[in-house]
Amino acid sequence: MKLPSKLSPEELYRTCNPQEFDFNTTADIDGPIKATGQERAFDAISFSMGIKHDGFNLFALGPNGTGKQSAIMHFLADIAPKAPAPSDWCYVNNFEKPRHPKALKLPAGKASSLSRDMEHLVEALFTVIPAAFSSEEYQAQEKDIREKFQEQQADAIGELEKNAAEDHIALIRTPAGFAFAPEKDGEVLKPEEFMMLKKEERDSIEEKIIVLKTAMQSIMAQIPKWQRETQDKIKELNRNIASFAVKPLIAELRNTYEEIEEVTKYCETLEADIIENFDQFLEKESDPRELLLGIYPGKFSQKGASFNHYRVNVIVDNSSTKGAPIVYEDKPACQNLVGDIEHISQMGTLVTDFTLIKQGALHRANGGYLLINARRLLVEPFAYEALKKALRTRQIRIESLAQLYSLVSTVSLEPEPIPLDVKVILLGERSLYYLLSVYDPDFTELFKVAADFEDELSSDIEGKLAYARIISSIVHKDNLHHFDKGAVARIVEHGSRLAEDATKLSAHIQSISDLVHESDYYATAATRDIVLAEDVQHAIDAKLFRSSRISEKIREATLRNSILIDTDSEKAGQINGLAIYSPGGQSFGHPGRITARVRLGKGEVIDIEREIEMGGPIHSKGVMILSGFLGARFAVDQPLSLSASLVFEQSYTGVEGDSASSAELYALLSAISGVPIRQYFAVTGSVNQHGQVQAIGGVNEKIEGFFDLCKARGLTGKHGVLIPASNVDNLMLRNDVVEAVRQGLFSIFPISDVDEGIEILTGKPAGELDITGNYPPESINGMAVARLHEMGEKIKKFTSSSDDKNE
Amino acid sequence: MIKMNNPVSETLKSLVMPEQHKYTPIRHIAVALDCSPHSIASLTAAAELARLMHADLTGIFVEDINLIRMAELPFCHEIRMYTSEPEKVDSSQLERSLKLQARTAKESLQNIAEQFMVKHSFRVCRGMVPAEVIAAAVEADLLVLGRSGRSPACHKGLGSTAKKALAEGKKPLLFVRPGFSAKEWPILVLYDGSAGSQQALGTALDLIHPGTSLNVLLLGETREETIEMEYQLTNKITIPGSVIQYYHLPLKNGKTLLRYIRLVDSGLLVLSDQMKISREAVHQLINEIDYPVLLV
Repeated sequence: MKLPSKLSPEELYRTCNPQEFDFNTTADIDGPIKATGQERAFDAISFSMGIKHDGFNLFALGPNGTGKQSAIMHFLADIAPKAPAPSDWCYVNNFEKPRHPKALKLPAGKASSLSRDMEHLVEALFTVIPAAFSSEEYQAQEKDIREKFQEQQADAIGELEKNAAEDHIALIRTPAGFAFAPEKDGEVLKPEEFMMLKKEERDSIEEKIIVLKTAMQSIMAQIPKWQRETQDKIKELNRNIASFAVKPLIAELRNTYEEIEEVTKYCETLEADIIENFDQFLEKESDPRELLLGIYPGKFSQKGASFNHYRVNVIVDNSSTKGAPIVYEDKPACQNLVGDIEHISQMGTLVTDFTLIKQGALHRANGGYLLINARRLLVEPFAYEALKKALRTRQIRIESLAQLYSLVSTVSLEPEPIPLDVKVILLGERSLYYLLSVYDPDFTELFKVAADFEDELSSDIEGKLAYARIISSIVHKDNLHHFDKGAVARIVEHGSRLAEDATKLSAHIQSISDLVHESDYYATAATRDIVLAEDVQHAIDAKLFRSSRISEKIREATLRNSILIDTDSEKAGQINGLAIYSPGGQSFGHPGRITARVRLGKGEVIDIEREIEMGGPIHSKGVMILSGFLGARFAVDQPLSLSASLVFEQSYTGVEGDSASSAELYALLSAISGVPIRQYFAVTGSVNQHGQVQAIGGVNEKIEGFFDLCKARGLTGKHGVLIPASNVDNLMLRNDVVEAVRQGLFSIFPISDVDEGIEILTGKPAGELDITGNYPPESINGMAVARLHEMGEKIKKFTSSSDDKNE
Repeated sequence: MIKMNNPVSETLKSLVMPEQHKYTPIRHIAVALDCSPHSIASLTAAAELARLMHADLTGIFVEDINLIRMAELPFCHEIRMYTSEPEKVDSSQLERSLKLQARTAKESLQNIAEQFMVKHSFRVCRGMVPAEVIAAAVEADLLVLGRSGRSPACHKGLGSTAKKALAEGKKPLLFVRPGFSAKEWPILVLYDGSAGSQQALGTALDLIHPGTSLNVLLLGETREETIEMEYQLTNKITIPGSVIQYYHLPLKNGKTLLRYIRLVDSGLLVLSDQMKISREAVHQLINEIDYPVLLV
């Protein structure tokens, strides 16, 4: 078997040649920023924004920090200004049904001018109406009406009084009314004088008084009617005077907005209401009770809160909006999306009116685009449902949540819904998109377009130039030092490392941005005007150092043999696996000892990690694959007469993943064959039932973890790592590792098959089946077969002797 | 002739008043009370004047003998404003009502007198109202009456008490209507050069305070005569802080005068019934005019 050669230094790290760039520093880069490698996502965005049908809203999916929002914002910034500015919206009082405020649609910029005009109107009414009602003409007319009533009353009573006087009967005002009594010379007759009259006279007087009383009663019966008539006349007069004063002002307003039918209709109801309630514009002295309660006059409230109902609550003001609005709602709570109805406390009671209706992001974005972070939307109570309802019904209906769920019981409003025409763009991780697609039937109806952002860019010249442009834009935006092309090249290389692929670049813009800022910091500290590659390297190293406490502690424990890792001798049934740790988002690799022991048994491989429930399912799967491999290789003709146990030594936190399965297999083969494994090698890679070695993740960190330990103990030239051959493209190793390889102090072997690996690890050939179906006796496989045969015999012998005893 | 003891106007008055006139200082003001709006206005005006003139105030409440007699008649019923059926008048109930009215009047007097810080007393009499008011006020230097009281027909003209007081020549007399304030309203004097009008002007000067204005309606046979009157008065009267406005009017009948007074639209009208125009015309004017009037 031909063994794979060690990887050359060039295969361990793909450098980015600064000479590929046609600029010297990022200061030379100008022009628009084009997102490279996101054509699929942009095609989806373009489609979603272009199609006008319902439900074609967009979900931009991809990991956080990949620049989804920026990319969409850039895209929208191109198309939004070409669209017409949407209409203004405002709420005005519904004079007939105050609980249902009316929504008025006005051309952009007109809502605020209507609001100003209404304020001026109210101010003018405070001048015009009092002037009209304090005019001599009005006073005279009102006095005339009142005096007519007085005269009517006085004439009727006076006439009766006169008639009574003719019969010598006096009309007398009593404390509560009127009475008639006979008189003589202006004085009422005394009872004795009356009794001295003849009976006929007395009867005559009584009869006359009865007639007079009846007449007086009929007058009294008419007085309320006269009062009503007087009141009606005064009302009519007031209406005429108010109408005369108000009409020119309303006509002026109506003329200003004559082309807006809704406003002219509103003016009609407004006029009627002002005329009906003219007295609120008349100056009144402050109620001393109000002053006692601390209610002091303000500009509008000085004449009472009732003037609120002539105000205009501008919900959307697009006076300064150019094109379609683009709104990003950072806190997509329900009330921030669809608006809210606020209340104010007045004398201990919560009250509201249409001026307390607050706009939401949907109002602001109406006619344009609304961007929302999907995760934030979903964690806000009722927000997602409210958004869906608005999109489904194509209108914004503001409802008080507290009212809806009976949390408060007070007067609230039901404002007229506003028609909605908006493209909603949700930004979120892929998992959210898939979850919503599965569990929410509405979601696929309302968000029909998915813009799937790539995690990586191709590491070709286009990708590298895209990186340069991103760096340039960050430098310009945040006013940093410019980067020279060497520094850009170093960031490109780091991008490949982040992507864990030498042929790709990470699309995680946030990480690039962080590195740019950190590099700028070190360049500034070094008093440089231009950021160089060494500053970038400094930033990378510093970040690594900042997060290296745990890895160093583990390495220190290993060097002190608290954690037993042998990097020098050769031992059977023992191998150095490579594990990766990821505390707090930082990953590092470290070797771990894997041991295998065999004994007589029935062919099972015991995974101790699984037995004690510290092994994950994928790890268990990997171990079971080993059973399959061993069975296929060694137990085709005879049963496996062994039991093997596998364990990660000194592992206290559990194991997951199958990247150690090849190492476990090597340890098993060594334990079965008895051939020692070279401990100065470490191994990573998963294995299938055919013994092929498969790709794993975190290869760079794993190699570097073993390298760091060997380097600490002293590199001898023997040390090396076996990695899956399919992981070679993922290699972007640290410079010191590459240098050690170049100097022959460290080796990396790409392995495709376990037989290659065992041969490198033991120095003995794995052995291939000959024409007789046997492995060469000196090969690993041959020795394993011999050992298994031996164990099988022992079992057979043991079993037959046991049977004999039983018989 | 009355003398208002306002020290500011003493010198001014001496310039206007003929020396032969003797002054009667107002030390005692009587006001008729019957709980009507006019009577409350009278009380307030009387208290203001009492305060200005450092005078005592006496409230007079008359229990109407006609009412009491009527209640004793066997067939007497009361017709009320808002109840349909007439009700028998009960004497004892009526007595209680009158006492209640008297108490209310007394309380009003006390409240307003204390507000203006004037010495006050209250008298209750029983009899014919006009006669009793005039009799009770015989010792008073000024009688203050509402223009109309509780007379049944509520006519625009003077009430029965006011008419009787006028007819009996009781002077000085102040007829008040609601809304009048002696301190704030401008004063209008009718002046025709007669001794009576000079008294009226002198009295008006007593009531003038800085900030109030005095309107003088000069009545003469000819334009030259009124110009001469103005010339003489202008030379004699200057009131610091107040404005004196002169109006010229040919001496004609009372109706013309009434129209002019309304045109000037002043507050208190001060006049005498001893002027060149007849006493009857003056009384007619007082009856018709809807302004408070001080008859001296």
